[in-house]
Amino acid sequence: MSAPEIVFQEVSKFYGEVLGVNHVTLRIPSGITSLVGPNGSGKTTLMNLMAGLIHPDRGVITVRGLSPRDPERLMRITGYATQYDAAPRGVTGLDFVTTGLLLAGHGKQEASRRAWKSLERVGMNEAAHRKVAAYSKGMRQRVRLAVALAHDPEVLILDEPLNGLDPLVRAETIALFHEFAAQGRHVVLSSHVLQEVDVISDRVILIANGMIIAEGHVRGVREEIHEHPSQYIIRCRDASRIAALLFEQDHITQVQVHEDRLGLLVATRNQREFSRALTRISLAGHTVESVVAADENVDALYKYLIGGGR
Amino acid sequence: MAVYKRGYTRYQGALTGHWARFFVLPRFAWRRLLEQRLVVILLVAATFWPLLCAGFIYVSNHADLLLGFDQKMSAFLRIDSRFFVIFMNAQSVFAILLSAFAGPSLIAPDLANGALSLYFSRPISRVEYVLARLLVLLGMLSLVTWVPGVLLFFMQSAMAGWSWFASNWQLGVGVFFGFLLWILLVSLVAMASSAYVRWRIVAGALVLGVFFVLAGAAELTNAVLRVEWASAFNPGRAMNQIWCAMLGADPIPGPNATFCFIVVSIMAALLLFVLNRKLRPVEVVS
Amino acid sequence: MTAEFRLRQAWTIARLQLRRVFFSKRSSWVYLLALFPSVPFFGHAIEVKLSQSRYASRVTAAAILESIREGDTDEEVLKTAGEPVHERKFRRGPRGEASVEYRNLIYFDGERRWFLHFEAGILQNKRSRPLIDFEDDRKVFAGVFQYFYLRLAVFFGCLGIFMNLFRGEILDKTLHFWFLAPARREVLLAGKYLAGLIAATLIFATGAALSFGLMLWPQDAVELSAFWRAQGPEHLFWYATAAAAGCVGYGSLFLAAGLLVRNPVVPAIVILFWEGINGILPAALQKFSVLYYVQSLAPIPPPMDANAPALIQLLMSPADPPSTVAAVCGLLAVTALVLWIASRSVQRIEINYGTD
Repeated sequence: MSAPEIVFQEVSKFYGEVLGVNHVTLRIPSGITSLVGPNGSGKTTLMNLMAGLIHPDRGVITVRGLSPRDPERLMRITGYATQYDAAPRGVTGLDFVTTGLLLAGHGKQEASRRAWKSLERVGMNEAAHRKVAAYSKGMRQRVRLAVALAHDPEVLILDEPLNGLDPLVRAETIALFHEFAAQGRHVVLSSHVLQEVDVISDRVILIANGMIIAEGHVRGVREEIHEHPSQYIIRCRDASRIAALLFEQDHITQVQVHEDRLGLLVATRNQREFSRALTRISLAGHTVESVVAADENVDALYKYLIGGGR
Repeated sequence: MAVYKRGYTRYQGALTGHWARFFVLPRFAWRRLLEQRLVVILLVAATFWPLLCAGFIYVSNHADLLLGFDQKMSAFLRIDSRFFVIFMNAQSVFAILLSAFAGPSLIAPDLANGALSLYFSRPISRVEYVLARLLVLLGMLSLVTWVPGVLLFFMQSAMAGWSWFASNWQLGVGVFFGFLLWILLVSLVAMASSAYVRWRIVAGALVLGVFFVLAGAAELTNAVLRVEWASAFNPGRAMNQIWCAMLGADPIPGPNATFCFIVVSIMAALLLFVLNRKLRPVEVVS
Repeated sequence: MTAEFRLRQAWTIARLQLRRVFFSKRSSWVYLLALFPSVPFFGHAIEVKLSQSRYASRVTAAAILESIREGDTDEEVLKTAGEPVHERKFRRGPRGEASVEYRNLIYFDGERRWFLHFEAGILQNKRSRPLIDFEDDRKVFAGVFQYFYLRLAVFFGCLGIFMNLFRGEILDKTLHFWFLAPARREVLLAGKYLAGLIAATLIFATGAALSFGLMLWPQDAVELSAFWRAQGPEHLFWYATAAAAGCVGYGSLFLAAGLLVRNPVVPAIVILFWEGINGILPAALQKFSVLYYVQSLAPIPPPMDANAPALIQLLMSPADPPSTVAAVCGLLAVTALVLWIASRSVQRIEINYGTD
């Protein structure tokens, strides 16, 4: 049985003198994993390395125990929707998906059945007989997804899969990822829409300048960074008084009172102490209506981790 | 929400002249072409034959070196129309090779990347765009064609004296205009090929294919139909005949220069038609 | 995975690729190259057929035409030989001087055309040529096959077809699609090469056969039937085989070039030059070319190009042609070596689409 992990061991890749990724060591378990980073940070390089489209200069990669240098076995369990927008000339959506299945060794009838099923999953069955060249950007994105899904892979690699999709299709696609992940498969995706990644992912891998700068659950990554002050928005009746009480605490680094005097933006270095302090303030008779983490999303985390990288 | 009115004011500063704008395209293209190693190698290789010819002119003008040679050899060393026609034939091959490497990178990338609409949205018309691209090739191919040709002519004039120049001035004119005609044809083939296929590399192969295959097809037709007129469809052979007429050399066997010129003109018109069809600022996805 | 599975996979790849090679708009010029020689042969056949029917009513006895001598007047000739099948009169002369009347008469004796050229009414030149000469036509076909078909049509056709298999996909940014299939890269290479080979062989072998058929069409029925009973089928087979062999050799070279070099035009020029000077190379070096093996498969050796410069004709020293078995084995060995190099290259190739 193949190991259910994607493993990078000390992987480096250079394009001539340009760095692709450097000394990447990762273990990606099944579930949805998002690769996040600015343009040119190495997300696509990592994905191409996983799929064997490029080869590492140093280090070893295994995808569920298989080497990317063995496409015969690897691509049987892997589906990759690349960022490349081109499709072979003159093919229809159905041809595009069917061809992939024929190459995978399916018979004509089985390939056709699976192709229709896959196109249906991405909501493209009505446009199946139209040429891919005449599709809109979103449709091309979906047909690429259909190609990647068609052979029912265990590992789904998706480069910017939500680009160009309208909100409804986007929600359906995300649901599809969740369904896949729930079956114990790998879904590895990259995205620039950080808020979306935050919602979709079981874990994120933050990458900048070809190096992994953080990995894990969004919340977990966040907690590991003790030096970075957490920000909370507190809605309360007497904001000025609560602000004064909070300022007495050592771990509080910043308090801002909202214009309406009914809200506070608080920055703390110690979440646990902050939680205790807030409990004490409530018990002392001050009304705290709500406490919301202001920056527990990838965007904030990302900004903090790579500074003005974006 | 505050809405701020913003008045648009167009650029009021000084503008460069029309011709300065026109020369922007060739200027950058020349620089880019000279950065290509293959183009530079070809340019260097193309100087070998002119240098040999220069040596030949030197030898033929030094009577003391010719002492002892028989009359046949002296006739061989004579600088006349035949000498320049041979020179032109050799250099014309370099012009084809150079246009196959340099030509396609002028238009194909613009079409492949949808840059035409950008160019035509500037004050550059389609005709100006074509002329600017033609100018790039004209400049590049001149270096291997009429420039060394005219230099050789002046070298011979300087060595042989005024009387030779006075009686052979039409050779210089023939070399200049003959090569210009060739450059025009070769450039049109390169530009039309690159506009037609859009791939730089394939366009290069197509340029070579046009010249080699047309030559083969023309000779094939002659052989099968037992005729000679098909040679006019071999661009190299047709141009050779035209050059012979321009320089006053003995014509080569085959159709006469007028017929060759008509065929070459038709080819040029067809190539212009292709350019006109393909160079449009809009694209229809089929 | 078994070898049988891989073979089936290669065949699937070939079938998918075949459709693109055969039916893509880009292949249209390959068809044009392959079918072009048929056009002049068809024109020749039509011309012969039309002439035969036009001349049939005005046949002049060969003995009469043979009796005509240079120096006879045109009136005498017309009186003796009767009305010609074709006549043309024109006047020409240097400017400022009196022009001379020229007259050309063509007679037909049932087999040969006689061309009589008169200046100022006096016969200056008499020559005859058969309306159709099977022997000569076969030589012309051999020349067309060797000089146009193998050296240009098959060469450039294979350049287009086989370069497109990998380099074309790179330019189209679609090669990753093939690399993401669960197939070994060598199997992909084999499948694509097979597709190119089937397409090129079918197109060029058919083109050669069609031209050959059109060359035979207007020939004399008796001569033709004798030819078919003797070497006809063999000639047709070897012309088609030589065309196919050209595709095997050039196909592998251009497939490899498409993988190894960013701009395949450079190796194309080098190969074109190498194959072009094949005839003037030392015998040992001639063996390192596709043409050496392929042209020895053709049933009639190529005639020397009469228009070739004297120096080239002097330098031409064709190496002893290999035997058919040696030619086929040699070509297959060269092809296997080139494909092995290509398979090493395809394993290393990475998807990194440039700006081509």
